[in-house]
Amino acid sequence: MRILLVLAHPNTDSFTHAIGTRAGDALRAKGHQVDLLDLYALGFRAAMSADERAAYESGSPIIDPMVAEHAELVKATDAIVFVYPTWWSGMPAILKGWIERVLVPGVAFHFNHAGKVRPGLGHIRKVVGISTYGSRRLYVKLINDNGRRTAYRTLRLNTSLRTRRTWLAFYAVDTSSAKQRAAFLDRVEQKMSAL
Amino acid sequence: MLVVYCHPFRESFVSAARDRLLAGLSAGAHEVRLRDLYAEGFRPELSSFERTNQFAPLASKPDVAEHAVDLQWCEALVLVYPTWWSSQPAMLKGWFDRVWVHGVAYDLPEGSNRIRRRLTNIRRIAVITTHGSSKFINALQGEPGKRVITRALRVVCHPLARTTWIPLYRLDLADERQREQFLERVERFGRSL
Repeated sequence: MRILLVLAHPNTDSFTHAIGTRAGDALRAKGHQVDLLDLYALGFRAAMSADERAAYESGSPIIDPMVAEHAELVKATDAIVFVYPTWWSGMPAILKGWIERVLVPGVAFHFNHAGKVRPGLGHIRKVVGISTYGSRRLYVKLINDNGRRTAYRTLRLNTSLRTRRTWLAFYAVDTSSAKQRAAFLDRVEQKMSAL
Repeated sequence: MLVVYCHPFRESFVSAARDRLLAGLSAGAHEVRLRDLYAEGFRPELSSFERTNQFAPLASKPDVAEHAVDLQWCEALVLVYPTWWSSQPAMLKGWFDRVWVHGVAYDLPEGSNRIRRRLTNIRRIAVITTHGSSKFINALQGEPGKRVITRALRVVCHPLARTTWIPLYRLDLADERQREQFLERVERFGRSL
């Protein structure tokens, strides 16, 4: 499969980067073609600009070359893997912005004659999310895990009903031990090898 | 009262809602501070420096410090924005990521994974937002944007902080009358504060 790995953490020595590396290696070892988008390293701009907003419903909503490149990758991929730390129960702004700017009309969906949104990501067979959380599991469930909702449910409305979903969560990261982190990386490798 | 406006356009339906809110607020004796994140060129990406120095004094992050002052000053916070992909635009999410940080919004004692509230000055949180999709679709999506505020952010505000949610669903298909009704509701809300 072709797999798009979207990673969002400012520090290259972060646990999130370690997860991304491990996931990418496991996928490549299985013969998948992995396209890595390290959003911070690419200097991706999170905020949709006024020009982009103005072009949004124009039929050619993409005006930034980097966004155009990412949109082509989305169109060609079989699976998307998001790797990010959960902040304020959601995705970091840079990843939320990636969704807003890249998954535009013509890429993720289109409007039909009645102005209703119709799915455009039917070719994506798998959506995977791997995230770290400061809080414990119960607390995350209580707050609602809003990044997961965005990646799962909101994106789901634009993929196919057959699209499979996998979520890997590492809770209470601030108080975790080296052993727990190593065990989680092993789990990431195992899950990605079986993707 | 702190009003945070987030839309790439200076003039939009969302800015009309902001103006009606301000008109409503002017009826009361409030001190209002308005922040327009796009207009002031706020940077939404939490930087590597900020991540590494998350416990460092705010003086090392001047643009964040300026916003933190407003956040710790206000008694009511009103956010005005369009809902995109079922939650706040990245620009506003970045404002949460960068300004609602350790030492401003919460404390995290050594060895704990439960944050302690710091923004007990905030007793009221209100959101005025527009959605392209219907209420039904938003319910299917689980309203993640709403929950970021009513569940995650509220935890660090005053324990009795009230939240008010004023949404307009299906903006794209709304006619003049529905839009005007919404704007009137926003203005009424401003007067009621």
